[in-house]
Amino acid sequence: MLLAMISAVQMLTTQAPSTALTPHDSAYHVLNRLAYGARPGEADSVARFGVMKWIERQLDADHIPDDRLAAREREFKILSYDRGDLAQRFRDAQQQRRQLQRESGDSSPLSDRRGGQGVRAAGPMREFRELGGELQELAVVRATLSERQLREVMVDFWTNHFNVFVGKGADRFLLPSYIEETIRPRALGRFEDLLIATAESPAMMFYLDNAQSVAPGSSPPGPGMRLRRRFGRNDMPQDRQRRQPTGINENYARELLELHTLGVDGGYTQQDIIEVARIFTGWSIERPDRGADFVFHDWAHDPGTKHVFGMTFRNDGQNEGVRLLKFLAMQHATMHHVSAKLCARFVADEPPDGCVDAAVAAWERTHGDIRAVLRAIFSSPDFWAPQAVGAKVKTPFEFVVSAVRAAGIEPDSTPRLAGLVGRLGEPLYQQPAPTGYAETEAHWVNSGALLARMNAAMAIARQCTGIPMINDHQALVDTINTRLLGGTMSAHTRSVIVEQLSDINDPDQARIMAVGLALGGPDFQRQ
Amino acid sequence: MTISRRVFVKAGGLALVSLGLDPLFMARAAFAARLPVRPSARRVLVCLFQRGAVDGLNMIVPHGDPAYYQERPRIAVPASDVIDLDGHFGLHPSLAPLKELWDNKSLAAIHAIGSPDQTRSHFDAQDYMETGTPGVKSTADGWANRFCQHDREHADTPFRAVAFGPQLPRILAGSAPSLAIDDLQAFGLRVPQEAARDRLTRAFEELYDGAGTGLLASSSREGFEAVQMLKRADPTQYTPANGAEYPPGRLGKTLLQIAQLIKSDVGVEIAFADCSGWDTHVNQGASDGQLSARLRELGFALAAFNRDLGERMQNVVVLTMSEFGRTIRENGNSGTDHGHATAMFALGGPVNGGRVLGRWPGLSVEQRFEGRDVAVTTDFRDLFGEILARHLGAADLTSVFPGYAPDAARFVGAIRG
Repeated sequence: MLLAMISAVQMLTTQAPSTALTPHDSAYHVLNRLAYGARPGEADSVARFGVMKWIERQLDADHIPDDRLAAREREFKILSYDRGDLAQRFRDAQQQRRQLQRESGDSSPLSDRRGGQGVRAAGPMREFRELGGELQELAVVRATLSERQLREVMVDFWTNHFNVFVGKGADRFLLPSYIEETIRPRALGRFEDLLIATAESPAMMFYLDNAQSVAPGSSPPGPGMRLRRRFGRNDMPQDRQRRQPTGINENYARELLELHTLGVDGGYTQQDIIEVARIFTGWSIERPDRGADFVFHDWAHDPGTKHVFGMTFRNDGQNEGVRLLKFLAMQHATMHHVSAKLCARFVADEPPDGCVDAAVAAWERTHGDIRAVLRAIFSSPDFWAPQAVGAKVKTPFEFVVSAVRAAGIEPDSTPRLAGLVGRLGEPLYQQPAPTGYAETEAHWVNSGALLARMNAAMAIARQCTGIPMINDHQALVDTINTRLLGGTMSAHTRSVIVEQLSDINDPDQARIMAVGLALGGPDFQRQ
Repeated sequence: MTISRRVFVKAGGLALVSLGLDPLFMARAAFAARLPVRPSARRVLVCLFQRGAVDGLNMIVPHGDPAYYQERPRIAVPASDVIDLDGHFGLHPSLAPLKELWDNKSLAAIHAIGSPDQTRSHFDAQDYMETGTPGVKSTADGWANRFCQHDREHADTPFRAVAFGPQLPRILAGSAPSLAIDDLQAFGLRVPQEAARDRLTRAFEELYDGAGTGLLASSSREGFEAVQMLKRADPTQYTPANGAEYPPGRLGKTLLQIAQLIKSDVGVEIAFADCSGWDTHVNQGASDGQLSARLRELGFALAAFNRDLGERMQNVVVLTMSEFGRTIRENGNSGTDHGHATAMFALGGPVNGGRVLGRWPGLSVEQRFEGRDVAVTTDFRDLFGEILARHLGAADLTSVFPGYAPDAARFVGAIRG
């Protein structure tokens, strides 16, 4: 083991463990996977800096200055609001909506669906909607501008791994703090901490219904402790029943095992799920209408003894759940499941065993230090294998952000780019299923989606200022190849673009056409 | 599909562009010859996936079963509100628009249907229902796609299998061409002038022609073929027929576009759409409330679709499906948790309607699955298989549902013989 550590360190301090890739190509590959694509000229500068040195720097994200992003973040109002502020604004928006419904006097059978009425009206509804747009756009701005690229990639990874759907009731106002306070600070920390933090987050408690899970027959000691208001999906007044929950809810327990830790083949049973759900009874939120805080309700906790995974849990309140989470974080099935997902993100949709095994070994050795796990993946020969280069198709988010970065566009604070990501099939934070968005090509490549990417490429090309106007078409395409595609443009792409430019005399039109075809073409879909 | 045709279109197009002519008529001429001869006779299957596991018991209510009321003191639909169908079952009151279709025998319900696999995971169960191989996670393609792979008689149109939504669902994943359309009106490249649009389309088509093999190449090819056909069909001009009014919201819009596509005779054989919001763990509601609102949208949307298609419904079957049902007993949050069997609808001219099909297992404790859920008495593959065989004319179901031998003796009789 010691030898393995030494050799890993040696690999990182010397050069990329690849024989096939030039320093420039190594840098471009790394920028495609550990970052949201290369900005013009960035592959060269990373190659000069040293690819492995750059990776180490990214793993030590806190020490990378990120002033430019910090300045841009100040434009986002949503970052200055806490959960309580957002809950208040949500309530105001709800109130306005009910008011509008009353005023319209519409009692047709279809009027209680979320329709368009009132959406454009000024006031709290519109303001809350705009905050939702800000939340999405902030993700695009950070991914585009941050110097701490790997951390942004990992934030996206964990956001999907521990997915919470922003459209579910109180999660409309709980999600921002979930991203800021639960996910972001721990994206390069220890898996166990992340797991516990998500378990204790009001957003997750609400999303997977654990806030409603209580031991059968239990009831709160006094009226002051009651969950005073719940936000159902429809948020209709008649749906809001103020009844106390009276039984266990298995939802969080199931997804914890299936998605967050052991994986669907992790070898657990329905009875295990029930035992785990019993362990988490009492993990709840208080005052959801004031922004919600995590609370452990002793009265709601099932005091009975639970048997699961060969362990016995006698009545020990909240400690039972914490003990279980720590146990799960170090199970082989968990290490394998999460490592394979990481390798699917960084190496290939169907990752080779070698990099997964290396990640699992690092996990075991470091007790789930995410940086060590990532380092093991980035040191693995599988990561550097020629067949891994360009092997992955970008997700819609990766495609838009990488195109914006390549084109040298400064994203503004309007939700336009986030809207583009949504139209390509990945509206941020809006995946209702706890699986989060998929990582694999088969989920993202289909004929309709490709046409949408071509449209997006043309829209981005119209704003591209990073490519100068050049009259000579050959030189224009060469410049685009170098600055946008890191020199990876295929001969076929090159000849098609040059041919298309043949009858275009206006240099601005030629530039838009050439950039649009380059970004919308097959080469740029890959990473 | 016809490499020669595409080369012809492209070569012709390029030549004409350089002469400054609109090459469009050439493409039209080339495509006109490929349209089906008797388009309206084509049989169509429309699948609606109620993602999130619909509560079959509150959709098609066993109001004749006292256990239903005992187990659901807060969320049972009162017998006085249920729209009775046969003395034992009835429709949720929000599904009132479907009663007329029940009465004219074009709507059937199938109860206690589901998967032989006992998983209560949405993710797994949806996967199994879409791959058609319960318990087998490694299946890469979907059953609807395998049907298309196997039966290539109609493989002459990119619109043969269409999913509405930004992503291709698992049910249509596989080697047979299938199309994901998010919005029919906006399908294709968005350039205002037609000539410029055609030119850009061809440029991208050429780019992706060089993408070699793999998903990028095949998907883009399907996309460009579809753009051409749709252009001819001109879906921007559409008014629902017979005064059909689709409800606002995603489902209504999607069904309208499916109707539009069927009527434009581009060769749709299988259309698929998602319809979400059924995971009613908390405050499900009874006659009113959360589930009621979803069912109301479903009922109005299906009724509008039926009215819009009119005579064409003689060749159309709409099938609803959901990954599993929900617990018989209401939970502590006035909702229901993940259960086992659920209920599905089949609607259309070929449907043997006006009946609740499948064997009803009963709701008493000893009749339940694992003591808590409605037992599955019909394997979903027997219903899907029956529709594929008797409606779409599938000759060999064993390749569509590998590892399963669909047997006509187990068919519930959803399609008229």
